[in-house]
Amino acid sequence: MAENWQLHVDAGQENDPLFVGVGEIPSGKYPDRGFIEALTKVAILALNDAGMVPRDIDTILLIPCLHSGEDQADLVFSRMVEELGIHGSCKSSYMVHSGGSTSDNAARAAHGLIATGHAHNVLVLQCERWGSADLNAMITMLSKNGIPGEWELPTGIQFNAIGAMIMRRYMHASGSTAEEMASVCVTLRKWANLNENAMFYTKPLTVEQILASRMVADPLHSFECPPMADGAVAFVMTSTGIAKKRGISHGIRVAGSGGCVSHYCLSQEADQAVLGWPLAAERAWNQSGWGPKDAHIGEIYDSYAAVTAIALEGIGICEKGEGARWFAAGHGDPGGKLPMNTNGGLLSAGHTGVGGGTALLVEGIRQLLHRAPAGRQVEHCERAIIGGTGGSYMDAQILLLERTRLGG
Amino acid sequence: MKTPAIVTDFRTGLASGELLIQNCKDCGKPNMWPRYACPHCQSDNLGWVKSAGRGVLHSFCVLRQGAPDGFEDDLPYAIGVVKLAEGVQLLARLEASGEDDWSAYGCDDAVEFVAVDGAEIERRPCATFRRVG
Repeated sequence: MAENWQLHVDAGQENDPLFVGVGEIPSGKYPDRGFIEALTKVAILALNDAGMVPRDIDTILLIPCLHSGEDQADLVFSRMVEELGIHGSCKSSYMVHSGGSTSDNAARAAHGLIATGHAHNVLVLQCERWGSADLNAMITMLSKNGIPGEWELPTGIQFNAIGAMIMRRYMHASGSTAEEMASVCVTLRKWANLNENAMFYTKPLTVEQILASRMVADPLHSFECPPMADGAVAFVMTSTGIAKKRGISHGIRVAGSGGCVSHYCLSQEADQAVLGWPLAAERAWNQSGWGPKDAHIGEIYDSYAAVTAIALEGIGICEKGEGARWFAAGHGDPGGKLPMNTNGGLLSAGHTGVGGGTALLVEGIRQLLHRAPAGRQVEHCERAIIGGTGGSYMDAQILLLERTRLGG
Repeated sequence: MKTPAIVTDFRTGLASGELLIQNCKDCGKPNMWPRYACPHCQSDNLGWVKSAGRGVLHSFCVLRQGAPDGFEDDLPYAIGVVKLAEGVQLLARLEASGEDDWSAYGCDDAVEFVAVDGAEIERRPCATFRRVG
């Protein structure tokens, strides 16, 4: 498809939007950590990281939570504006929601608001309490979200079944073995073992352990399923002009972005081993001016191993059919040729609902800002590929980020 | 809310042993799932054709635990995506080849629609397929 679809802001332009700060608290099971308490903490952490105070923020974008409609209503009705003491000055506070890819769309929304002048400084907030929620209630909720009630609910489909079907089709199309699929999870665990905020920071994982774990939805083992977690992250975006005035030396800009919504129900996807990644990637690479070989890290949604392997292929990080074997060869490991999901991803840092993708985006920004802890920080990290998807893997969203030095 | 006619018609078909495909009377294209307007030409002049019930299995899984509320007693059960010869696709249950055994099934296998009795369709209004050969 021939498209000429360019971003209208260039590096160095006063209105070019930049990521300038991130905040995060540990993921896992934290039943005594309150929802608003967690949001307040990550907001302040992100503002401190950006060298800002709450009064600097004019726009808050909220990533939804899935554990509670009441907590979500607190977000929608601007509670965080008052908690941060910016009622009266804050211009707007609202929610962006597209499931697992919300962070990509929230970043795009903030990017557009800043580039056009609707916003100066945007704070994006996320908190989820899946680790402390009632598991059966969450399973049932997830069996109704993203699944058409009148057509597909009667089959008994749920989220692990969706992941398992994609995995089976991917294994069939690529010839990947069970060991190669499990190796994706092992790479992620190696990264989680370097991340104090990861749910499985202290627990190693092997291919043998995964293959010995019980079968949940053939061919998916229980250790290949995403662990539901509590977690919260935040990030701050501003314009190049404002960042310069504030004396900020480096920011992270959006070099390119592309997306494709390929279906609503997984049953309507033309090829479960491909999904929307090739078109999303074509659109993103056309904007960026650099390619997959120029990236230093990838932070690509990983609720299931196959989902990430398919994304890698569509994005062009590896050859078609080689995604799982790319992981098995250690290419995404610490010290590998393209460090992948360096916080441990959803599968090992914890699946914080809509926040899983947000944590990956935040980790990408952190790495590009060179603010990851020693041992996890990737050297000379200048360019990152961020990938988001979710629900029935109805969309593929890509952000191509690059570190930029601010002159003057 | 009253169940929409496109849903009741489709389920009535299943209960009488027929898999129905919505067909646009203006552009002639088949739609699955059935829509309120033809997604190809936006016409609301829509009818039904009976599917021949043949297709290939794009992918499937056997769910062994973590069933949604009300499905616990069905475990284990297999669900898969079938690409029908008519050019549309749908999610369906797969009939076990033996006692809780779906080991003979594979991606791209030929499958056929199985008529299920009306009482079972009342309980689980979805299509069932089985492997051919």
